[in-house]
Amino acid sequence: MYMSYLNPKRWVHMMGRKKFGEFLVLAAFMLFFYGPLLHMFMLAFANKYEMPGVLPQEFGFQWWRYVLAQPTLVSSIVLSFTIALITTALSLLICIPAAYVLARYEFPGRKLVMFSFLLGNAFPKIGIYASMGIIFYRIGLMGTLPGVLIVHLLGGMMLMIWMPTNAFKSVPRQQEEAARDIGAGPIRTFFYVTLPMAWPGIAVASMFTFIGSLGENQGTLLVGLPNYRTMPVEMYGVILDYPATAGAVFALILLIPNVLLLFLMRKYVGPETLSKGFKMG
Amino acid sequence: MIKKTWKTNVLIACMLLPALILALGIILVPMINVFIQSFQDGSGNFSLEQYYFLFTDKLALQNLWYTVWITVVTVAGAITISYLLALYLRFSDSKISKVISTVYLLPRFVPHLVAIYAMMTVVRDSGFLNRLSQVFGYNFKPGLLYNAKGIIMMNLWFNIAFATMIIVAALAGIPDSIIESSRDVGAGRIYTFFKMVLPLSIKDVLVAMTFIFMSNISSFTTPYIIGPNHPKMFGVYLRDQFSKMRYERAAAVSVLIFAFSSISAIVYLYTNLKEKEWEKTGL
Repeated sequence: MYMSYLNPKRWVHMMGRKKFGEFLVLAAFMLFFYGPLLHMFMLAFANKYEMPGVLPQEFGFQWWRYVLAQPTLVSSIVLSFTIALITTALSLLICIPAAYVLARYEFPGRKLVMFSFLLGNAFPKIGIYASMGIIFYRIGLMGTLPGVLIVHLLGGMMLMIWMPTNAFKSVPRQQEEAARDIGAGPIRTFFYVTLPMAWPGIAVASMFTFIGSLGENQGTLLVGLPNYRTMPVEMYGVILDYPATAGAVFALILLIPNVLLLFLMRKYVGPETLSKGFKMG
Repeated sequence: MIKKTWKTNVLIACMLLPALILALGIILVPMINVFIQSFQDGSGNFSLEQYYFLFTDKLALQNLWYTVWITVVTVAGAITISYLLALYLRFSDSKISKVISTVYLLPRFVPHLVAIYAMMTVVRDSGFLNRLSQVFGYNFKPGLLYNAKGIIMMNLWFNIAFATMIIVAALAGIPDSIIESSRDVGAGRIYTFFKMVLPLSIKDVLVAMTFIFMSNISSFTTPYIIGPNHPKMFGVYLRDQFSKMRYERAAAVSVLIFAFSSISAIVYLYTNLKEKEWEKTGL
């Protein structure tokens, strides 16, 4: 009797053909995208996970204690967050003024400047890193913090220019002019009128710069070693050398900040804001 | 446009320069260096031998076609699935479509290494799928690691969210009234799609295609971890050459990837400029 619930025909009958189809889409979607992540989540809290058990034989925090007792892994976590924070701050400082100018002024070569960021994306990152590596050797930036920061800045640059440029463009110029007319200075106008309205685009771009820096591995692997081992650099070793349960813990630590940021910024993170980062303004 | 005096010109320059110098220093200069280096032999003389090698060596050619093939399949697969998903999210009001539209963006926020690792623990020989099959008395091995299927699967995992996001934004910009009026005059669903919805969203589809093409033709992390030892995708091949200190050949591989990516960048630029002209005449 209960077995008949396993018969798909019964479900089609109960839900109707269209609903059943939608349900299948949802199930396939969830299994493909969320299944592996949930499985990893489960592994991270497994003390014992031996063949052929589908579920762990014993749950607990054993592997969290193990990972947090590895000094190299813990220091990589601290280092990753420090680098991501500095990268985001620097990127804001450098890119936001440029984005404002690109949004507000027309000048010869403006299109070319915008396009050059896309071209930078078209060139394989590893090729750029490799070439940077050679220059870094010459000027002594190999294995230094500024070297790593430069690599991380490069990763998010296009988005950090394009998205805020589009955000500034969507602020009506009349609003700024009105503020100026009643006597606000340009800086006051920028901070009280322009910035609040362009904020979602800037916030989302900063978030991606932060996340991008946290996850950056190719360039850091080439330029940062042996002094700067960030989380993703350590992750390569973890994938190869550690048991799956320990790997799951470390991967989860890498994932948590991103999910947290996505949750905090959910108000701003929509397809409309995000897709502006991929359109040349 | 705001009126420009010499003062504002100086201000513009000051605001733009840091970003420009950074972009020149960390993007353009390395790019030019790589370009020059790719036309040199081992001792710094001008030579076409690196390119000659890449287009004649059997292994290099296999890598080239392997890379292009995986990238094209990834782009086609991701765009097709994403377009269907975006259509569904745009034109369905059901609860399920609302659930999907709140959760589909997550893969965009998952670090590559984490997602690859999570997928590996599911599909590898001692992974979840195998263990599950053993419960039912089988010994199922998905065989999705260390071959092209695995790379394509992972590429789809990363890019479907991105492409769906771009296309959803485009479809959201199509007013309901356009579609209703087309349906009112008796146009069928398929006719409405090809005459209204597709032309109005094709530009954004090209945007998505450009970025998926670019990021996958040079992808490194995925093929490095779950790709086969041979043939290799160009991103991995490039790093191999670099670590074997064949810098000139590594440079030529970079330029070759860049040449492919540039084609899609130019298509992007072309459609982007065309849009602006259309806007001008529209006014």
